[in-house]
Amino acid sequence: MIFVLQKTLIFTIPLLIVALAGMFAERSGIINIALDGIMIFGAFAGALTAFFLRKNPVFVDHNQLTFVIAMLVAAVAGALFSLLLSFSAIKLKADQTIGGTALNMLAPAIALFFIKVFFNKDQLEMAPAVNSAGNVKDFGYSLKNDGLNPVFQVFFDKAYISTFIAIGLFILLSIFIYKTKTGLRLRSCGEHPQAAASVGIEVNRMRYLGTTISGALAGFGGYAYIATVANGNATGAVAGMGFLALAIMIFGNWKPLGIAFGALFFGFLKCLSVSADKISFLKSLNLPKYFYNLIPYVAVLLVLAFASKRSRAPKAEGIPYDKGMR
Amino acid sequence: MKKLIGIILAILMIAGTVTLFASCSNQTNKPEESKEPTSEDGKYEVALVTDVGQLMDKGFNQGTWEGVEGFSKANGKTYKYYQPANGADATDNDRIAAMKQAITNGAKIIVAPGFLQQAAMEAVAKENPDVKFVFVDGWAFGLKNVTAIVYKEQESGFLAGYAAVMEGYTKLGFTGGGGGGNPAVNRFGYGFIQGAEAAAAEKGVEVEMKYSFKYGDTFSASPELQTQIAGWYADGTEVVFACGGSMFSSVLSAASEYENAKIIGVDVDQSGESEKVITSAVKGLSVSVEKVLGQFFDGKWDELLADKAQNLGAADDSTGLPTETWRLKNFTKAQYEELYGKIKSGEIVPVAEVPEDVTAGFEHVKVDLEK
Repeated sequence: MIFVLQKTLIFTIPLLIVALAGMFAERSGIINIALDGIMIFGAFAGALTAFFLRKNPVFVDHNQLTFVIAMLVAAVAGALFSLLLSFSAIKLKADQTIGGTALNMLAPAIALFFIKVFFNKDQLEMAPAVNSAGNVKDFGYSLKNDGLNPVFQVFFDKAYISTFIAIGLFILLSIFIYKTKTGLRLRSCGEHPQAAASVGIEVNRMRYLGTTISGALAGFGGYAYIATVANGNATGAVAGMGFLALAIMIFGNWKPLGIAFGALFFGFLKCLSVSADKISFLKSLNLPKYFYNLIPYVAVLLVLAFASKRSRAPKAEGIPYDKGMR
Repeated sequence: MKKLIGIILAILMIAGTVTLFASCSNQTNKPEESKEPTSEDGKYEVALVTDVGQLMDKGFNQGTWEGVEGFSKANGKTYKYYQPANGADATDNDRIAAMKQAITNGAKIIVAPGFLQQAAMEAVAKENPDVKFVFVDGWAFGLKNVTAIVYKEQESGFLAGYAAVMEGYTKLGFTGGGGGGNPAVNRFGYGFIQGAEAAAAEKGVEVEMKYSFKYGDTFSASPELQTQIAGWYADGTEVVFACGGSMFSSVLSAASEYENAKIIGVDVDQSGESEKVITSAVKGLSVSVEKVLGQFFDGKWDELLADKAQNLGAADDSTGLPTETWRLKNFTKAQYEELYGKIKSGEIVPVAEVPEDVTAGFEHVKVDLEK
């Protein structure tokens, strides 16, 4: 049981942070459908960083430091990559969905292209490396505390530092968007940019801010995903986690608490699909693995079908800001 | 709002269709070729057409490639590899295209690892009787220009299982690629159980083994596989035999979360991949490929190789464990040599025919098959 909960938490984190990323962009008025692509790009940048850092024994000794640096690079890469979207959407007033889709197609292409050219492989592994004592060390970043009591084990054993960073960021950013002046301004640009502009808020700047935060979070989420869930390999794919995160954002009604709940729910379903054998009641049902793999996606469809009635999207999302419009 | 949902659904559908089309439309995709080294006239005498999975899979493809590379470099032959299009989902048509490409580029001999390549090879070999084919992991099928190399993987598996139990492990795991349909992987796995059984009987211990082909149908790593194996380690499994190319990285990721988790590698010596690899069940891919290429270029094809299958095992030093690099402490090299001698001489013969039900017939090993 502890195992299932631990894994649920690990599956939840990327979804949580990427759904929050989506929320930031959309609350500022930009539809960020490129979450998946930004995740892929961030994952690639992070993996590349870890790969090169680990050539130096110092970074192999200080594994967690390497992990944090790679996460930072992933976030920066994600932010930069998202500028493509915000530039096209804000400056060029292009259709945001199309811009986002382009990014979604661009990211795996870039990642795979470089992996092929430089490493002659289909995937970039954060390879084992030699530490200063001359031993081969794996890339694994998990924290091991198996001596704790079961409740703490869920959170602190086999856990990743990214989990705590993500939860911390989630809380901070939730406060930011609801309790600060900038947060209020950012939200107003997603509801009625002309009204916001009339009281002196620079709409474009707010939208750039929202999308860039969104890109950074998605890049971070992408790296957290490959480092904790997906074998530590950047493969030019994140198994549709970005789209799942979008669905969670809608499910969460563009609000942090709803998103947290949705991410936990889908994280659990994702985890269940691979660890159903661990729950004796489910094992005795002896259902084919495909059934469990299907559950999260069917759940998305059902949830969206029901949630769409009460959902309230930011009013101005997806509409390029036009000063003259009322 | 409805618009947004509509857009998301539309994009998901498009993405799905694109993937579907990508995997169906194989004519448009060119097989991938290696860039290095280049030959002056653009002809490459020795060609390798890879199996599913990538070239640098640290295992099967890579081991074969090292044989091709080693021989060609030493003898001044030009060589090149071809990866059939569509990667893990490559079809026979993709393989045929890759082989034809190799022939267009002047290949005299094509090395094709992987039993999946039979149909493609049959088609191309019939059309091109002057080009020779080396079929690794498969049997000859009546064509004069095809030679086959099959390994006794059960012996390597046996040795690995025996070594693991002798080392003191009693909770083992086996995860294999190919969904249970790859004969070589199945032989590895069945040998692994037999080895564990033999050692358990000798030591008088009971061994539990998790046995699964659930994930890794295409020999690739996945989050699902990683979670499954992490679950095994969480349940107390001590060592997992990762039998299938890139699946290794999933097992490694899972093992990295558990202090004492160990791994057994496959095909080639994987001890350099991680400190957690205690040993590897190897088969002499590069050695035997080099040997066959040597015989071909010495003009002995008709005499030694044409339409013949070599079944290589311990007697040919083509199966075993790399004793120099293993991380076993209780199981000594002397013990290993003794056992290896017995397999060599035929005193111990691991069963090669994998039965329908692998769990049956073992007294000391309880095999828990995960489907």
